[in-house]
Amino acid sequence: MKRSLVYRWVAIAAVFSFLLLVMPQLISAQNANQTNKELPVRELLKLPGKVLTDTKTTGSSGDLKLTGYRVEEVQLPRSLTIDVRGQQATVDRAWRVTITGGPFPVRAMPAVIWIDDQVAGYGIENETLTQITAITFDSSLIHEGGVVSLSYGENKEGRIRLSQKLQLKREGENQ
Amino acid sequence: MTPRTKTYLFAFSIAFLLIFTADIKTAFAQVPDPGAPGPLTVTREEYNFGDTAFTATDFPGPIELIASIHYPANLPAGPYPVILFMHGRHATCFVGGSALLQWPCTAQGSQSIPSYRGYDYVAEAIASHGYVVVSVSANGVNAVDNSVFDLGALARAELLQKHLDILNTFNTTGGAPFGTKFVGKLDLTRVGTMGHSRGGEGVVRHKVLNDSLGAPYGIKAVFPLAPVDFNRFVVNNAALNVLLPYCDGDVSDLQGVHFYDDARYNVPGDQSPKHYELVMGANHNFYNTIWSPSSPFPGTANDWLAFVPGGRSDSQCGTVRGNQRLTEAQQRGTGLAYMSAFFRTYVGGETQFIPILTGDAPPPASAQTNNLFVSYHAPDNPALRLDVNRLLTETNLTVNTLGGAATQTGLTPYDLCGGNAPQPAVCLPGQSNARQPHTTPSARSSARGLSQLRTGWNNMTGNYRNDIPSTLGNVSGFQAVQFRVSVNFADARNLEGLAQDFRVVLTDASGASSSVRVSDVSGALYFPPGSVGPVPKVVLNTVRVPLSAFGGVNLNAVRSVQFVFDERFQGAVLVTDLAFASAPQ
Repeated sequence: MKRSLVYRWVAIAAVFSFLLLVMPQLISAQNANQTNKELPVRELLKLPGKVLTDTKTTGSSGDLKLTGYRVEEVQLPRSLTIDVRGQQATVDRAWRVTITGGPFPVRAMPAVIWIDDQVAGYGIENETLTQITAITFDSSLIHEGGVVSLSYGENKEGRIRLSQKLQLKREGENQ
Repeated sequence: MTPRTKTYLFAFSIAFLLIFTADIKTAFAQVPDPGAPGPLTVTREEYNFGDTAFTATDFPGPIELIASIHYPANLPAGPYPVILFMHGRHATCFVGGSALLQWPCTAQGSQSIPSYRGYDYVAEAIASHGYVVVSVSANGVNAVDNSVFDLGALARAELLQKHLDILNTFNTTGGAPFGTKFVGKLDLTRVGTMGHSRGGEGVVRHKVLNDSLGAPYGIKAVFPLAPVDFNRFVVNNAALNVLLPYCDGDVSDLQGVHFYDDARYNVPGDQSPKHYELVMGANHNFYNTIWSPSSPFPGTANDWLAFVPGGRSDSQCGTVRGNQRLTEAQQRGTGLAYMSAFFRTYVGGETQFIPILTGDAPPPASAQTNNLFVSYHAPDNPALRLDVNRLLTETNLTVNTLGGAATQTGLTPYDLCGGNAPQPAVCLPGQSNARQPHTTPSARSSARGLSQLRTGWNNMTGNYRNDIPSTLGNVSGFQAVQFRVSVNFADARNLEGLAQDFRVVLTDASGASSSVRVSDVSGALYFPPGSVGPVPKVVLNTVRVPLSAFGGVNLNAVRSVQFVFDERFQGAVLVTDLAFASAPQ
């Protein structure tokens, strides 16, 4: 009898010990999942950003009458683990690339913003159809001399290039 | 060769082929016109539960519950089959002459753009034959769908399901604004859906959603019209019809052809037929009257001219003399004819239109053009389809789907392209994706495209042969031997502007053979027209050769199907889906 009581207490103690050991990890994993949960794109569009470049073209270019572009760095409210060029990466910053011009047509095929030969992201039009914004988490795209262009669908051949290459403002420069 | 000469050559080729195929199609000349107005007077009304009445899962904006409803006046009989329409992505609001993309329309003085009214011309016609046709507004989806990963497909699907729930209420207990008018009048076990553009993917996604919910509604037929296919959902176990406008300037890669390609062999035993029409000279927007230049609303476009750089100069799709473009009215004729035929057949059971959908009968008068190509995939039913060679894997280059030998002589290349690895991802390297729709990538899926036999011949000795095991040689119960084919415009052995040709030969167990020239039954071997941007493009069209045309061959004991390339000195084609097949019953 005494022996079985001892076994019972040992068993209960073992379960509690196990839970004490494991629970923090479970809680931490849940938090991590929350951290990793994708930020809605609409939220990313609204977050304050630091303007890295704001370029106006000389005269509008192409049928879409592109007039310039702006690149902003956005500090994320929480870190995200996302896919960047096929690799999982934890990021705490994003970049908004906004092309101005238009009015842009509302089409079935999404607008796509490119930097060099890489897709920066699918574009989201503003309400007045004068801006298209894409969000990228790929810091390597934001580099001096990068060429910004726009297409509908991932149609490399149909891209319209903006003539001004990326010129990033350095720390301390007026923005 | 000047663009004008090319255009004349193309037009001449098509006219020539149409004349020569007329004999074969005469047998079906008595098929009634599905697009003709029916005997019933039609009433049109709308219901409106508000601009923000619906919220879709994980979707960042409110969606309206607004729709038009066309129905036989006074609902003298019923319950009527229900057809649901969904428009695609377009501007949502306007102020003066400016289009806006917001929802609801909150800008000072702004009003909504009623894209859902753009198909009234089809709804009116179908309803006059005893159907209830509901066209759903989806501006709330359009306003923010680019900010969700699936680009709005699930939101559109959920919106359609919500409208079916509303119709179910109208049908059971009744409700505002119609009271009990529709109680017992809607047959929600017989539903068809048509979606245009992003709405096209919406209706496919909706079929999948409805199935996942235990199929509360009987979705019998799904019609994506000039659709996008970003996510590669597949319609199974419902009739499918995709309409592809050759001069689409928006979805210029005709990616919607994936819906057909992906569905063909996806579910063993799938009893549903699959179809598509390639409409020459048609663009993206003219199928919706609100999106067309004749509309009073801002945001309209002749999309080929507006979105394709240099498109005006194209001999097929542009504005140069001799172009093959359809007017707004002509183009809508093709939509009217084929939507009516499809829904009346597969939702309403009016099977007299089947020859139009298989391509055995020419386009009806309501289509307003003969310049279109119909493709057809028969149900997976041993009485209706015997796949000779699906051409899916490398094995099929030597052993066909029936287990017989597949052999060739004098053909080069003789390989597969476009399908799963290790096949090359595209069949025409160096050509843009827009020019090869069957393999164009999808925005949100890494699924590959259509596996195709890529081949060609350099003299008159080219031969492609599929042997049929003796146990499977009785094909007398089928209507036709059929395959899909396109002329490979990128191969220099095809002369620009000139149609190709070859013979299909059946041989029986006694060695007796009979052949039919493809050009005698089909215009599918045209040289793809155009030269600007997305055109020319390869779209594989079905050739159906009636077995009755093979005189002197014992159809109870056929031993091989051959393609004999001795009608042209040289050439190159893409081929898939070789089968014996019959129309659905």
